[in-house]
Amino acid sequence: MEFRKLGIVGGGSMGKSIAHKVAANGIDVVVLEVSPEHVKRAREELGESLDRELAKWGITASEKKAILSRVRFTADIADLADTDLVIETVTEDLDAKKQVMRQLCAACPPDRVIVTNTSTLSITEIAAASGQPARVVGMHFMYPVTRSPIVEVVRGAETSDASFAAALELARALDKQVVEVFEYPGYVVTRTMMPFVNEAMHVVMEGVARPGEVDRAIRLGYDFKMGPLEYCDRVGLDKVLGWMEHLWRELGEFKYRPCPLLRKLVRAGHLGRKSGRGFYRWDADKRGADAVGGPVL
Amino acid sequence: MNVLVLNCGSSSVKYQLIETSLELIERNADRVLAKGSVERIGTASALHTYEPAGRDKATESGEILEHRQAVAAILALLTDAERGVVSAPEEIAAVGHRMVHGGEKFSQSVLITADVERGIQECCELAPLHNPHNLRGYQAAKRILPHAPHAAVFDTAYHQTMPAHAYLYGLPYVLYQRHQIRRYGFHGTSHRYVGWRSAALLGRPREQTRLVTCHLGNGASMCAIEHGRSIDTSMGFTPLEGLLMGSRCGDIDPSVVFHVMHKEDLSEQQATALLNKHSGLYGVSGLSNDMRELLAAEADGNARARLAIELFCYRIRKYVGAYAAAMGGMDAVIFTGGIGENAPSIRERALAGLGFLGLEVDAAANAALRGREGEFSTPGSRVKALVIPTNEELLIARDTVRVMAGALVH
Repeated sequence: MEFRKLGIVGGGSMGKSIAHKVAANGIDVVVLEVSPEHVKRAREELGESLDRELAKWGITASEKKAILSRVRFTADIADLADTDLVIETVTEDLDAKKQVMRQLCAACPPDRVIVTNTSTLSITEIAAASGQPARVVGMHFMYPVTRSPIVEVVRGAETSDASFAAALELARALDKQVVEVFEYPGYVVTRTMMPFVNEAMHVVMEGVARPGEVDRAIRLGYDFKMGPLEYCDRVGLDKVLGWMEHLWRELGEFKYRPCPLLRKLVRAGHLGRKSGRGFYRWDADKRGADAVGGPVL
Repeated sequence: MNVLVLNCGSSSVKYQLIETSLELIERNADRVLAKGSVERIGTASALHTYEPAGRDKATESGEILEHRQAVAAILALLTDAERGVVSAPEEIAAVGHRMVHGGEKFSQSVLITADVERGIQECCELAPLHNPHNLRGYQAAKRILPHAPHAAVFDTAYHQTMPAHAYLYGLPYVLYQRHQIRRYGFHGTSHRYVGWRSAALLGRPREQTRLVTCHLGNGASMCAIEHGRSIDTSMGFTPLEGLLMGSRCGDIDPSVVFHVMHKEDLSEQQATALLNKHSGLYGVSGLSNDMRELLAAEADGNARARLAIELFCYRIRKYVGAYAAAMGGMDAVIFTGGIGENAPSIRERALAGLGFLGLEVDAAANAALRGREGEFSTPGSRVKALVIPTNEELLIARDTVRVMAGALVH
């Protein structure tokens, strides 16, 4: 399957990151947002994120221009009708995804494959809401999509072979290695990662060590690129809590029960890098001192 | 006979149709019938530029989604009743393909067979950004011109004569055995072409000369040619090693890479882009990768432009000295490529102070020499300094004729 133009629903961080990667690989992209204001903001944010990549020498000024020229933002779902495949990247909420799926199946011709980007939700359930489950397939991209080499490709109960093959083809077109996954809550990556980061939070909550020390131990001890708490801060603690709650609800095992410290930080609005404070204090992308002490909490 | 020369990149195909034969080669009388390029393949606004010899250039824009369509579009124009230069595809007797990497498998040009195609495929790992596209171009052309023999001419092949002490890195030998980590060199077709042409200018056969050739364009490399054979070249495992280039760093202490990655928190991809696209003349000057712009900026007093140019010229001078030492002397230094052919001041600065090696530049002759063959050393200079415009397409066409006739010369 040759991809010439892809549709992306949602211009949030994941939507923009996928759009960046798709355009960098020479494929045109149409990104759907909910309103002209959101369209404007998403376009500006993509420009800013390309500027950051330029400052890190990852792309050149002419590559930035070429990428921007391939990405079109719109608030009109009809603009997705002539794309080869659509990836929805709306918020990790089952009802929101179901609704988008219904709209997409109505807006795009019936032979068009629709990818839902989710890290934990049931593809089967999302697909069922569309009324055309055969054309829906799951892909779990990792953020930032330009940097992460892997993607989980998830088959729902009714996903057709053709839709699954299209997802594999898309992964290849985006230079991604594929981990094929049978649908099960959390797939591979999220399910393995969540109990691990949750345990690190317990270590902090129980006063065993401060966040910086926990991360340093794991980073250096096991040669990880970053420690579990820094990872959570970067992803967003509200997002991590959402995943944990989903696993806890779906699987009902104590190992998935969210750490109380995580709940407390989210309730206080300390969501990590995006709010300026989580386990660390964040200042213009640079980590300062630990924000969460050991025994004090 | 008419040979179609194809140079396929990821989203472009450059081409020339050249009339040549063993007899025309002998008389240096082969000629270009048409040339052109298709850019932005894979888009609805691909750009096809076509220039038949002696007639006006034409440009067309339209949807060309893959190399096969590009080659078909090229054929359609070449055989077009009004604008074409031949009347049927059958009048194209052979196709010569530029292939970037031939690894250690290919030390000369070859006719492409199924075995050869497999061999080129195996070299893709060494040049993932180039060989797959070169191969795609071949497969497209083979389908459209099945009657014609197709030849592969490799950028690396000419340097396969380098001795082991020149091509090996000081790394554990097992890396060479396991992964073919060694210096390959590039621009081989260009170095070989100017080396061959030098015989006419020097009045001596190549077998009796020691040459230092400088291909200076946006990519730049030098070659030590002893008695017609490449014995060393400045590019290595990839085209990143050696001279300072438009946006590539050239020689560097590898420790710098790890140190910078750590300090700036860079991914492998960002570090690779830094070395290849943000360094060299552009990186040092912070201004441009284009030597013409840098020379203009330097004339306006821009200190960083001057510094970048000085680095560029110093590296060339250093390699001239190294290659003179490697060959126990030299008979000529030859400049080619965009900068080498058209920037007299760069040539003069690069060769400054080499009188001790017997090389004296004639400033007036040098200043007058742009874009054409000629000599710019003083009449008394023991070592000659020459400009020879490169012509890789011509050599690819000639090699195609020669491999068909079984009369290949290195």
